[in-house]
Amino acid sequence: MTVLPSRSNVQAELKPARKPASAMIEIDHVSQMFQTSGRQNHLALSDISLTIEDGAFVSILGPSGCGKSTLLYIVGGFVSPTQGSAKMKGKVIVGPGPDRGPVFQEFALFPWKSVLGNVMYGPRQQRVRPADAEAQSRALIEMVGLKGFEDFYPKELSGGMKQRVALARTLAYHPAVLLMDEPFGALDAHTRTRLQNDLLNIWERDRKTVLFVTHSVEEAVFLSDKVVMMTRSPGRIRQIVDIDLPRPRRRTELLLDPRYQKYVVDIERMFDDGDETGLRP
Amino acid sequence: MMSPRAMLTRAAPVLACLGLLAVWQLASLALNNDSFPTAIEAIRAIPSILGDKESLINILASLRRMAVGFSLAVALSIPLGLMMGRSRAVASFFNPLLMVIYPVPKAALMPIIMLWLGVGDIAKTLVIFLGVSLPVIYHSFEGAKAVEEKMLWSGAAMGLSAPQRLIRIVLPAALPEILTGCRTGLVLALITMITSEMIARQSGAGNILFNALDMGQYDTVFAMIIIVGAMGIGLDALFERMRARLVKWSEPQFDIPLSFS
Repeated sequence: MTVLPSRSNVQAELKPARKPASAMIEIDHVSQMFQTSGRQNHLALSDISLTIEDGAFVSILGPSGCGKSTLLYIVGGFVSPTQGSAKMKGKVIVGPGPDRGPVFQEFALFPWKSVLGNVMYGPRQQRVRPADAEAQSRALIEMVGLKGFEDFYPKELSGGMKQRVALARTLAYHPAVLLMDEPFGALDAHTRTRLQNDLLNIWERDRKTVLFVTHSVEEAVFLSDKVVMMTRSPGRIRQIVDIDLPRPRRRTELLLDPRYQKYVVDIERMFDDGDETGLRP
Repeated sequence: MMSPRAMLTRAAPVLACLGLLAVWQLASLALNNDSFPTAIEAIRAIPSILGDKESLINILASLRRMAVGFSLAVALSIPLGLMMGRSRAVASFFNPLLMVIYPVPKAALMPIIMLWLGVGDIAKTLVIFLGVSLPVIYHSFEGAKAVEEKMLWSGAAMGLSAPQRLIRIVLPAALPEILTGCRTGLVLALITMITSEMIARQSGAGNILFNALDMGQYDTVFAMIIIVGAMGIGLDALFERMRARLVKWSEPQFDIPLSFS
């Protein structure tokens, strides 16, 4: 799906030669079956195949219960797929590892550790020298906008601040892929917008591969290079939409941009057409 | 300077104790019964007990058994409870056993244990051990069960192995609940300590109490009850202080005095 007029040749030549995109994550015919309490099998994911390129920001968009989080957990190695496989850099994923860093909607911070202690946890586990781990962690805490809160405990922080800590904690051990599971879903609209902006700013710096699960169309379009639309029950890929909007993206500019608006409307229409697979309950 | 209200809040536990002693004093005077000495008579008997070398050795021996039984129980129960909380297989093996043992008063096992192990330290320490174990196992189990899955996943992503996750995530995350179990265990240790000495009448604080009862020295009986009660309050306050320090990260903000610490 392209809405952009094709670029002129001159422009293309002026751009620095991009290294060919290589596959970071390959999801190959993955299906996931769950046993429900009534001993019935529930097919959560059905035959999902998806390639995520190195450095891409990919959102998985779908209604609740479409198995989009499950797909993320499979990539994280937290859940083993019933059928098929997920690969990271060509190797089959068999369990969690520091090359894939999760950020959960529930924050999942270690409540007995201070902000600094939480962020330092990963580096210390990787045997980074304490002084270095602390210096790196303090820099990260500043980057996510929490300078001055290093010695606070999680219970003393607001939801938005907790999610900032969780992001810093994950970035601290340098995962090649960020796995974000509706990270801003539990936050109020204002906090959510601010965190989206800050996440984009942070992402622009090193362009890690990001797999981002959300049920918000605006959020997916604003953040992503590619939006994977899913259907509900069983979860299947409905369509993949390339978001061809310039970066760095500024929210205020983007909201007025007809191309952004068209992406949002087009995606919402597609969900509406899909009867019971619509985003709205 | 504390406000009068804050001062009253802090003094409340002491006032409660004084109130109890006053009620006791009045009740005793009203009933005028030989086997129910007044509070003042009981308090007067305390120095002679604590001043007597043999009594003191007995009380210290009791405390030592209690400390050994409590420590061993905590050291074994916490790992067992945590493993039960994280492994369905371990839980389904131990749960039925514990369900059978839990409601049995541990002191009721004393005669059998005495038959096997004699009336010495080992039998009494074992009873204390049993008394403390169950609440500590139970609370460790509940605490470990409640640990958020995503927290463990976060640890796994950082490269923590399953045993590391148990020690470095499940243990600290469950610590508030574990310490609640330990606090119950501490009180139970004191109770089983006295009851074990009541049955195996050879030495200890319980023995002093029941010897005095046999000889009709009721002021000594009540003095011992005060001493045992004070030991309980003291140990609990000490423990509560340590607990509050260990889990200050989880404490809700309220300042009702729950103990004397």
